[in-house]
Amino acid sequence: MSEASVDPVLKDVGKRDESWKAPFTNLTVLFKHRFLVRNLVRKEIRGRYRNAMLGYTWTVLEPAMLASVYYFLFIMLAGNPDKMYPVWVILGVIVWSCFGKALQGTVSSLSRNGQTIHLVYFPRIIFPMTAMQGNIIISMMSCLVVLPIMLIYDLPVTIYLLYVPLSVFMAGFLAIGLGMLVAPLNCVQRDIEHLFRFIVRAGFFLSPVMWTYEMALERGAFGEMVLYNPMVVPLTMARHGIAGESIGIPLAGILGSIGFGIVMWVLGSYVFNRFEAGAVKHL
Amino acid sequence: MSSNAVEIENVTLHFPKQRNALKMFINLFRRKKERFTALRNVSLTVKKGEVLGIIGKNGSGKSTLLRIISGIYPADEGNCKAAGTISLLAGLGTGFSGHQTGRENAILYGSILGHDEEVMISKLPEILEFSELGAFIDEPVRTYSSGMKARLGLAVASAIHPDILLIDEVLGVGDPQFKEKSKKRILDLVKSTGTVVIVSHSFGLMKDICDRLVFIHKGKIVDVGEPADIIKLYYEITG
Repeated sequence: MSEASVDPVLKDVGKRDESWKAPFTNLTVLFKHRFLVRNLVRKEIRGRYRNAMLGYTWTVLEPAMLASVYYFLFIMLAGNPDKMYPVWVILGVIVWSCFGKALQGTVSSLSRNGQTIHLVYFPRIIFPMTAMQGNIIISMMSCLVVLPIMLIYDLPVTIYLLYVPLSVFMAGFLAIGLGMLVAPLNCVQRDIEHLFRFIVRAGFFLSPVMWTYEMALERGAFGEMVLYNPMVVPLTMARHGIAGESIGIPLAGILGSIGFGIVMWVLGSYVFNRFEAGAVKHL
Repeated sequence: MSSNAVEIENVTLHFPKQRNALKMFINLFRRKKERFTALRNVSLTVKKGEVLGIIGKNGSGKSTLLRIISGIYPADEGNCKAAGTISLLAGLGTGFSGHQTGRENAILYGSILGHDEEVMISKLPEILEFSELGAFIDEPVRTYSSGMKARLGLAVASAIHPDILLIDEVLGVGDPQFKEKSKKRILDLVKSTGTVVIVSHSFGLMKDICDRLVFIHKGKIVDVGEPADIIKLYYEITG
């Protein structure tokens, strides 16, 4: 209850925590405002599927339909792929769209919410957080498509299946750091939003969505080069998860990808906290 | 223990001029920056239990000052302190999401203002009664008329009792009957809340309810004092 309390004391208003603390305080903020975060995430998810007869079924239908298009495209270009190929594509599409949508959502999280920002103050980090969480939850729902696939392909249920949701989470985590880094800049110049829309589209082809890490390995040195792309790890992890195998990427590659996520989180949190107050004056 | 609810000390706030990124980048390295100063060296204290009115022409910095107090803009220079929970009533119903029902929006709006779900649920009957929405409360907000949205906004915002209430020109929405009712509601709210800062152009109302008035002109406080005197001063200066 926050009814008028007895005798409150004077406190600074509008003062932000020191920015270097932001990577840690962001997590406590998330916990402290969990009711608000939950309500905003719900709003984000419901908003996406409003007025749709099929509603949440689209979370599964969209990646499945996309994957079937890419499947035919691939058969036309490359000929006869192995029988698991459609499964690899559908998982690739799910994990990549989690990353892509979370990235675009966090980049525009401040500029989209100008009305709310001018109405009330709460820690602004909540905006990119809800954008990321909403997309992670939607992608988790998409992951349900895995169940019929496992029946059709007669795949065993193993502990590695946990890799599938884990990879979706990791894709979201990789996106938020990057998104927070540029969200304040996007308030000043919307060019950032357009640039990132291109980055997400280009990244679709440069990351193993339509192809796999193993296909790259067959091309020799190319296989090592792709490991510089942090999204290779979550994409490959989801595929190995459903196949019931361990991840099959050199440890250095896995650590590199996780490390990239953490560095971006720290950097993004710092930059977001440092510049958000000035940036919202442009909204 | 201080008897002040809000203390504003030498607050200055600049707004950047909307230019392209290149010019802004150059601006970073200039000594003399291109900017618009919305508030210049403003100092003001609001006592506990006081109703303070702010008047001034459009664009003089009234709303910006309320946003400083509510923490939306941190001051560029100087500092601002406040005691207790603060809630800003402005642009009623602007934060609603159209595809959710009135009921869901009430809870969302409440949680944005910092209230738990249980608190908002317990206040729903009161909100429903005041907003006169009836069965519409379970319809999506996009089907509402603008008056209905404003009524729901006022009902939700006023169901919450903060320590400090900031009101930014929210009177005068809806039909005459509702206008009367909302005026009464805000007056009740003003009475039941300890400290109120109100921005309005309706001087008649301000004279009735405010203990003191502040006159802001071009980002500076011209004078603070008895409502009647300040209103006279306003006409002298602005013509």
